[in-house]
Amino acid sequence: MDWLTTVDHKKIGILYLLAGGFFFLVGGMEAILIRIQLWKPLNDFVSADTYNELLTMHGTTMIFLAAMPMLFALMNAVIPLQIGARDVAFPFLNSLGFWTFFFGGVLLNVSWFTGGAPDAGWTSYVPLASPAYSADYGVDYYVIGLQIAGIGTLIGGINFLVTIINMRAPGMTFMRMPMFTWAIFVTSALILFAFPALTVGLVALMFDRLFQANFFNVTNGGNTVLWEHIFWIFGHPEVYILILPAFGVISEVISTFSRKRLFGYSSMVFATVLIGFLGFMVWAHHMFTAGLGPVANALFSIATMLIAVPTGIKIFNWLFTMWGGSIKFTSANLFAVGFVPTFVMGGVTGVMLAAAPADFQYHDSYFVVAHFHYVIVGGLILGIFSGLHYWWPKMFGKMLNEFLGKLTFWTFFIGFHMTFLIQHFLGLMGMPRRIYTYLDGIGFNEMNLISTIGAFLMGLGTIFFIVNIIVTAVSGKKASNDPWEDGRTLEWTIPSPAPEYNFKQTPLVRGYDAFWKEKMDGNKEMTPAEPIGPIHMPSPSILPLFMSIGLFIAGFGFMYHKYIIGAAGLGITFLCMLIRSLKDDHGFHIEPEELQDKGVKA
Amino acid sequence: MTANHSTTEETKKRHKHEGPRKHIVAYILSMFLTLIAFASVIGGEINVSFIIFILLMMAGIQVFVQMGFWMHMKDRGHTFPIIGILTGAVVVFTMVIMAEFWAWW
Amino acid sequence: MSAHTHADGHLPHEPEKATLEGRNKVLGFWLFLGGETVLFGTLFSAFLALRDKVGEGNPTANELFNLSTVAIATFILLTSSLTSVFAIQAMHAGKKVPMLWWLAITVLFGLGFLGLEIYEFYEYVHEGHGFTTSAFSSSFYTLVGFHGAHVAFGVLWISILIGQVLKKGLNVVTAPKLYVAGMYWHFIDVVWVFIFTVVYLMGKVG
Repeated sequence: MDWLTTVDHKKIGILYLLAGGFFFLVGGMEAILIRIQLWKPLNDFVSADTYNELLTMHGTTMIFLAAMPMLFALMNAVIPLQIGARDVAFPFLNSLGFWTFFFGGVLLNVSWFTGGAPDAGWTSYVPLASPAYSADYGVDYYVIGLQIAGIGTLIGGINFLVTIINMRAPGMTFMRMPMFTWAIFVTSALILFAFPALTVGLVALMFDRLFQANFFNVTNGGNTVLWEHIFWIFGHPEVYILILPAFGVISEVISTFSRKRLFGYSSMVFATVLIGFLGFMVWAHHMFTAGLGPVANALFSIATMLIAVPTGIKIFNWLFTMWGGSIKFTSANLFAVGFVPTFVMGGVTGVMLAAAPADFQYHDSYFVVAHFHYVIVGGLILGIFSGLHYWWPKMFGKMLNEFLGKLTFWTFFIGFHMTFLIQHFLGLMGMPRRIYTYLDGIGFNEMNLISTIGAFLMGLGTIFFIVNIIVTAVSGKKASNDPWEDGRTLEWTIPSPAPEYNFKQTPLVRGYDAFWKEKMDGNKEMTPAEPIGPIHMPSPSILPLFMSIGLFIAGFGFMYHKYIIGAAGLGITFLCMLIRSLKDDHGFHIEPEELQDKGVKA
Repeated sequence: MTANHSTTEETKKRHKHEGPRKHIVAYILSMFLTLIAFASVIGGEINVSFIIFILLMMAGIQVFVQMGFWMHMKDRGHTFPIIGILTGAVVVFTMVIMAEFWAWW
Repeated sequence: MSAHTHADGHLPHEPEKATLEGRNKVLGFWLFLGGETVLFGTLFSAFLALRDKVGEGNPTANELFNLSTVAIATFILLTSSLTSVFAIQAMHAGKKVPMLWWLAITVLFGLGFLGLEIYEFYEYVHEGHGFTTSAFSSSFYTLVGFHGAHVAFGVLWISILIGQVLKKGLNVVTAPKLYVAGMYWHFIDVVWVFIFTVVYLMGKVG
């Protein structure tokens, strides 16, 4: 019951991890089914229609329901601790963000059971996704499920921006923030400015499908390229939203396990901001073959290649951080170090794709599929694994088993390269993407088989990770405040798991890598910035759950044209908003006497 | 109390309450700009591109007036709001260029 | 949360900024407005892309729009923005009753604007410009309708706030709510500046 009403960022982080992890398994299952279908030519494991649903849901689930929530898990678990705060700026909204994401995800997946999941690709291009060519409910689930989940993401973005701007501990200027915090700061800004564009696109598509509007209906003057523009204006920043937090994790992990200060902090900050900004200027590189013309293609081509520069700065800084450092290859560090060459591989194929004329050959082939899996899986997922192994003790109070962690890493890593390296060549040989089968005798057979085997290895690696979680929960080693013994940042100054109130006394920050600075000066702990006193905490609330349920119900109502139900669902949501506004939440206090005992029970 | 807000000092220093005068001036200015915009469309044989130019100028100035005075963006302590709105505006500007020049089949 | 109160018991000078929660709410809302800028910007972009797609036999923008109605609506919304400024000024001066009156007038003007807009849409539909008529009409109603929906929400929100202040009084908890509602109201007036310029005036000019 506590978990349904919590507004505690630490618990919400765990909820995000559980839900995101669950959807990761769902998306992974969809991937395995895809690969089984493709292991041999003219396979009939699934029908073409089902295949389209699988590939759509795989992409949509992995990006929106697995990757982003797991990033939100790390954000929630770590950011307030890294800046010396006791919670995020808007704890109630934090909970609301989780529940809307959750119900959006549930809505999307209910479609499997009600006659058809979305099947127009995760990019849902029109006219395929328009009522003329997708008359069943699949795309409606996509449009409405993502709008609901998107609200949650937007709320989370604003929450972390305000938290980082307003709630840093005394002495923590912007240029003393940990790199992960900087990464989340820029990511949150990207979320704030990218998601409204997606919302408008989804609303327009929804109006076309449900109310016969004409945004994308060419007969009545609509424009199908408009959808592509709107979608990718969101879609490109979205992939930077996915990768920047991973960059943040890598900075923390490499620096900690090299026992060395991050090389080139200022340039890292600059590079992160530049990547974020440029991310909004390159969207049409997804549309090189859409007919925008040579001028547009040239501009976007150059802008895209430019992004490689700040990214390269980051790569070199990580390498220089490791150079001369005293490196410890824990599982977390294995994932981080594995990330570097893998992401570079994905990045360079990205530069290849950025050359517009060449892209006319690569577009819609497996070369593109290989590229984005290298950067998303080889980048983001390795980063998430790294972050999870690194911060697990702080979140749950126990160390993940190192042997199982290494097993996870090697199985997943080898499986990953096996699956996707070969797909570059499939693409170059001409295999198009999103096809449910291929003919015999074209030369695709062996490579697809290898790719499928690799996918199973990745699945095995994931299973090892789950085993690790279970083994740790049952008999894991308890963690101290600073279990890696080389912690540099504030989260390692407090017990593991973090107590309910985070910091008994808000710390005084005297430099970058605040904790390391104190250690180098011979101190065991941080200097407090305030006396011990009663700590004010926000009260839990059931309203976010009900608001999300209201939206969920409304979604169904609109989709099936039962407007009474739609109105009722919205009514529930608005009623909860009203209650929230009218009832003052004064929170509660934790008295100094209780401060020794309270801890988060995960 | 975080080290990052300065309202305590602000509260002590500026105790005079701003009168309504500045805001009424902003209001009259906005009306005036609106009037020019409408007039340029209704009256006279002006070149279409020039009208559009006037309209955009009037809108732009009015936005500055309204956001500067009524939303206090010209006052101190509004760094992040300014960054926030400006970034949004840059994104929008890029999109509008796209829509005007490139969104066709 | 300990609130700043002066020795004579009055509200602090900028009550919305006197607490951490208040400052967070104000900053959070500014950022939300940044996101809303992109939201409306995307709607504007879609409108700009589709504004010539009127379709055979349907009324064009030039034929449909009546500038006097638009002018009156603009005047009403602009004035309501001014009255909301006066409301916040009264709040800063700690004068609860004048503040409530100014808010009520703002709400009234808002309702007036909405009434005019509903009448306007009703007329258009009768002249053959419905939601499903063409790409131009769909994007017109979506853009202007979203703005109208924002006005309606604002009217509801401010009305509820008036009720809250009547019950709980003006303090450092209700002050940020009022300030933020004022920001929202100004923002939708700013959006309207762009709507009447880009949709109506440019529509008349072609």
